[in-house]
Amino acid sequence: MTSEAKTHAIDISSMQRDNRILNLEEETLALEVKDLKLSYGDNEALHGIDMLIPKNRVTAFIGPSGCGKSTLLRCFNRMNDLVDDCHITGKILLDEENIYDRSVDIAELRRRVGMVFQKPNPFPKSIYENVAYGLRIQGVTKKRVIDETVEWALKSAALWDEVKDRLHESALGMSGGQQQRLVIARTIAVKPEVLLLDEPASALDPISTLKIEELIHELKKDFTIVIVTHNMQQAARVSDYTAFMYMGDLIEFGVTDTLFTNPEKKQTEDYITGRYG
Amino acid sequence: MRQSFTEWTKSGAPWVWLNAGAVAICLIMVVGLLSLIAVRGLGHFWPADIVQGNYNENNNTIRLTGERVQVVSVPADQLRDSGVKVPEGVEEMQRTLLKIGNRDHGGTDFIWVLDAFMKGEQKPEMLFAAERREWGNFYGYLRGIKEDGKIVSSYDGYEKSAEYMEVWNDFQARIDRATLIRDQIEDIEKGRIGSINYELERLRLKERSLQLKEVTDQSRYQEIDNRRAELDADYESLQGELLALYTAANRDSITAEISNGKIVEFKMASVVRAFLPNDMGIGGKILHYFQKVWEFMSTDPREANTEGGIFPAIFGTVMMVIIMSVIVTPFGVVAAVYLREYAKQGFVTRVIRIAVNNLAGVPSIVYGVFGLGFFVYFLGGHIDDAFFPEAKPAPTFGTPGLMWASITLALLTVPVVIVATEEGLTRIPRAVREGSLALGATKFETLIKIVIPMASPAIMTGVILAIARAAGEVAPLMLVGVVKLAPSLPLDFNYPFLHLDQKFMHLGFHIYDVGFQSPNVEAARPLVYATAFLLVAVIALLNLSAIQIRNHLREKFKALEM
Repeated sequence: MTSEAKTHAIDISSMQRDNRILNLEEETLALEVKDLKLSYGDNEALHGIDMLIPKNRVTAFIGPSGCGKSTLLRCFNRMNDLVDDCHITGKILLDEENIYDRSVDIAELRRRVGMVFQKPNPFPKSIYENVAYGLRIQGVTKKRVIDETVEWALKSAALWDEVKDRLHESALGMSGGQQQRLVIARTIAVKPEVLLLDEPASALDPISTLKIEELIHELKKDFTIVIVTHNMQQAARVSDYTAFMYMGDLIEFGVTDTLFTNPEKKQTEDYITGRYG
Repeated sequence: MRQSFTEWTKSGAPWVWLNAGAVAICLIMVVGLLSLIAVRGLGHFWPADIVQGNYNENNNTIRLTGERVQVVSVPADQLRDSGVKVPEGVEEMQRTLLKIGNRDHGGTDFIWVLDAFMKGEQKPEMLFAAERREWGNFYGYLRGIKEDGKIVSSYDGYEKSAEYMEVWNDFQARIDRATLIRDQIEDIEKGRIGSINYELERLRLKERSLQLKEVTDQSRYQEIDNRRAELDADYESLQGELLALYTAANRDSITAEISNGKIVEFKMASVVRAFLPNDMGIGGKILHYFQKVWEFMSTDPREANTEGGIFPAIFGTVMMVIIMSVIVTPFGVVAAVYLREYAKQGFVTRVIRIAVNNLAGVPSIVYGVFGLGFFVYFLGGHIDDAFFPEAKPAPTFGTPGLMWASITLALLTVPVVIVATEEGLTRIPRAVREGSLALGATKFETLIKIVIPMASPAIMTGVILAIARAAGEVAPLMLVGVVKLAPSLPLDFNYPFLHLDQKFMHLGFHIYDVGFQSPNVEAARPLVYATAFLLVAVIALLNLSAIQIRNHLREKFKALEM
């Protein structure tokens, strides 16, 4: 941490982070977005986004409501396909392959690019079955394999100790924070390459939020994480890279520390200093 | 301070009163309806006292014995007009419907009498009532018991005494014996001989089908003939057994004095039960009452459905409703899933939805006509041509039966299930679907594993409504499978156990048949109420079990608070 915090609301010095200087040029890429345009009917929501998502890093999308950050996130696992009259042009490359190519198996893509939503959405099944769901969908039937994976996923999601004695109770009886960690466990159980988090802590209390943030920090060893957040402190705390979006455009993208302390664009500065948004 | 009328109106008080009033009226009507059929129907089984008296009308005295069934008051003028000598100054007279029984001796078993002309009324403790398998109830004094035509015991008085009770107990013991034999006879006739007949018929059909296929292998025919010979031999031996049982059953008879003083005789075997209602304590009456109610629910009808039980009708109703539910649930759910999940929402789906809703409003008799024309004659006829050519010209499925009735009612109720399921599907949060899709599940997997299970309480709501509608439906059933008397239940021990081609009895139709097609209106009336009460009870029971299942599912898939 070299530069003095320029922003006021965010205590940059408290951020836990590797003492490495990040540089986008040296990163391996997980996803590459090329001139992505998306429109709902006649209304264009994303106006040609170009972006690189580095592997095994946490990338945060920030911006005011309606700026298109969630929409962009949902493009990465083609969740927008579910929306009627949604039209997309451009490319998103995952391992050099365009995920919008006709030959792509959407179910397979979604297995490789997992997603956690804003509100916890556990299935009305037992805790165990929630985590095993993705495996069963893939046709895993060996009980031993499922048992091991469930345990691994729950441990990775820092939930194992809390639920190991009630794996077969309904997931709906858990607290909101536990449910959200369960959803994360469920998502990582299928071992995706990329983990998309759509405001994962916005419906949670501060302690649960803290737990989720710690979890994100742990998980980035194994996964590439993209997180959408409203909360700038959160973005500053958890992410390595940050993208600021506004009105369907990517305004600025860079190393989090730099973007928060020394933004290049006026709009970014205005937003992070709380002048609008 | 006094409120002005406008203020009072504005305050909403009249509105609240109006609402509460409407609810109260509904409640009163429902309770009134239920208590009317319950009282009229269930009262029928209470063992009423038998009264005896001298009835003097137009200077002609006769002795009458019977149960009071109903009392009404009639204007005296009306009676005068019809030639009854009513004393001057009387405005109104009480008239009683007396069940005098003994139809084999008097020709009629109900009679209207004017209370004023009934003299010397009493309730002799010795008077007995006997329910018989034919000719209705018998009322009279027990005079003697005969065994093989010879008198074994007799009694002459009109007063209760120890000797009389001895004869009476002997009578009861012999009824029990005769009943036991009758049960054996029934077991042989309905059970064993029934099975033999059923197998013989199957053999006949098998032979016929071999002939139709022009099989020349004589050994196949020989096989059938051998089996038939075996069955014939079985049948012969059963016939012998039956003959012996019939002789045993007809050994005893009783003599009794009826109200006009004549001594009559009838077979012990024809008596279902005999009792002394005037001599019964309250405990005895209650016991008798519950025996009668149980008999009503658990036995076959007798005497053109005016006596005995209605078990086959209960069974048929429940059976049909269950088969209907089994058909309608998957069909309705699949249709709703397509409409809501797969079909592109637009003009066409809107039209289909309106059409489905309107289908629920089509009069049920129209479904009956459609079922008869399309299912029974067209589909059934073709099924017969294709699969049962050996039975022709007798139809197998080309005639009304349980399956067609169930399918017709399934068609009638499918809109309800579709609407309820669609409602349920829309209420599943989008987040849960996306959660499943995001894990790499296809839309189909998401539907099967997450969405439909979560919508199952709503689906059950649809099924509950369908059951309520189907169980009470009569009109279409008359065309597609219900009969007033079915010789056997659609479920039995003869392969293939469930006989979907058979006709069956139904409580709703039973009410119509007993109430309006019966030769003995007075005897049938209480049964109409009792059957109606039972029909309501059966529907309530079916609904309650469905609601139980739904509550269980609701608990399991408690909607996510989103």
